Amino acid sequence: MSDFARQQADFQRGILTGDDTVLAEILDSPREKRETLYGVYRYAYGSRLVEALRNDHGLLHSYLGDETFDEMGHAYVKARPSEHPNLRWFSQGLPEFLRSAEPYCNHPVLADLAALEKALNDAFDAAEGEVLDLASMAAFAPEQWNDLKFQPHPSAARLDLSTNASAVWLALKNDETPPDAATLEEPSRILVWRQDATPMFRELAPEEAMMWDEAANGIPFGVLCEMLATYDDPDGAAPRGAGYLHGWITSATLTAVST
Amino acid sequence: MNVASRLPSSPAALAERPLQSDKPPFLGFGLGLRAQHYDEILGGNPPIDWFEVISENYMLPGGQPLRVLDRICERYPVVMHGVSLSIASTAPPNFEYLQGLKDLARRVEPKWISDHLCWTGVHGKNLHDLLPIPYTAEALDHVVSRVQLVQDFLGRAIVLENVSTYVQFNNSEMTEWEFLAELSRRSGCWLLFDINNVYVSAFNHGYDPMTFLNGIPADRVVQFHMAGHSHMGTHIIDTHDHPVCEDVWDLYVAAIKRFGRVSTMIERDDNIPPLDELLVEVNRTREIAERVLPPLGKQAG
Repeated sequence: MSDFARQQADFQRGILTGDDTVLAEILDSPREKRETLYGVYRYAYGSRLVEALRNDHGLLHSYLGDETFDEMGHAYVKARPSEHPNLRWFSQGLPEFLRSAEPYCNHPVLADLAALEKALNDAFDAAEGEVLDLASMAAFAPEQWNDLKFQPHPSAARLDLSTNASAVWLALKNDETPPDAATLEEPSRILVWRQDATPMFRELAPEEAMMWDEAANGIPFGVLCEMLATYDDPDGAAPRGAGYLHGWITSATLTAVST
Repeated sequence: MNVASRLPSSPAALAERPLQSDKPPFLGFGLGLRAQHYDEILGGNPPIDWFEVISENYMLPGGQPLRVLDRICERYPVVMHGVSLSIASTAPPNFEYLQGLKDLARRVEPKWISDHLCWTGVHGKNLHDLLPIPYTAEALDHVVSRVQLVQDFLGRAIVLENVSTYVQFNNSEMTEWEFLAELSRRSGCWLLFDINNVYVSAFNHGYDPMTFLNGIPADRVVQFHMAGHSHMGTHIIDTHDHPVCEDVWDLYVAAIKRFGRVSTMIERDDNIPPLDELLVEVNRTREIAERVLPPLGKQAG
């Protein structure tokens, strides 16, 4: 290893771990000791990354308050140093961290709230894509409908929440007191997407969530309706499927249809 | 990604060969584009000559930031300013990052692409800070070869900025300005002269900012940054959260006298005020330049 490379490794280790080896190679300034001057980098590192977490998870920040959020943030910074050159992606691992690290994993609403915010952030700057409109559907003859396959918009994503995090999110967003955290008997099935420039989400019924997930897997409409028939009234399966499809198209969650 | 296949294949390829490129044009007096001002800019076409955008803020798959950027680019000249090139890092080059930068440049068609003379991490980590280097011959050789590699990849000369530093290394063999001058001469990169950073580093390390200023080759500087800072008594931190202070305005006058007509911009990253407030500072950069310099038509050269 070159001297330059060794020095950079020491400098970085000093910031990440508090090791003082590099101080032997740093000068005091005319007015200040080297420990204080090097401390500027140490302090800036943690505070900048926690600030990035605050920006990406504004409602989790509101929910926890400054002190608890920053404590959590510094724990995340220590556990998951950034490995991407773009600060935009630093917070991507936060939901998983909250799901697995003590004491946060004892409060599953935190991981769920972070997951919902992450999904909305991801929808905000997701790739562009065509938006399928109802007129495009009119081009298909009735006998073709069974074979139609649908492609979700690049911004669309599904997540299942085990808690009432979506209700907490909504209350915080509206500056209202959030409900007490609660674990649900059945997971809350959430669809997230971007409508024009705005990230959106809504909760899907179990049947609609199943149809969305299978449609996203490339299952054609005819088979989707057969699957719906196992969920509820078989005779109403096709109209229900058409109804869900109509909702997806009018809310801009699909990008293409093909046979 | 196969890094080795992208590196120059022989020692000869690493020989000094400054990338010849025309000096970037004088753009006038600009501002750093910030999301807080999107609506005002798009709704009002404020009298700003050009914008500098933070490259990483737009190295994204899609969505509103890129849509806004497209509209800004239709109306104003734009330059790209990155914070993660990590040109002085001893880690292998990050070609995925460079490709993202190149893709964004294809979309933006910036007048130039700049970043900082610094490193941001090694061993797979990124500290998201502009970290200092020792001014040694070894470091200079390394950075020159890295600049050449990046310029070859991007197909254009890049612009590098002096950063604010809080520490100096005891193994430095030359001054920062000597390092920058040599780097520019040997690699062909242009220089972004951050006047606030010169002021901050000079205070922190106890030298005269005019010595720094006079040590930079006048014909290599293509951009000035003007920004505010936070004074801690024994040292200054480059926070970009205050208006430009009077000492830095004085240094700006000296910089104009030495470097002539240079594209200048106000850089504000925190505690961001309404656009009108920053326009006052942008106008001041213009007024001072018009007062100090001869009218464009009469300027020699």
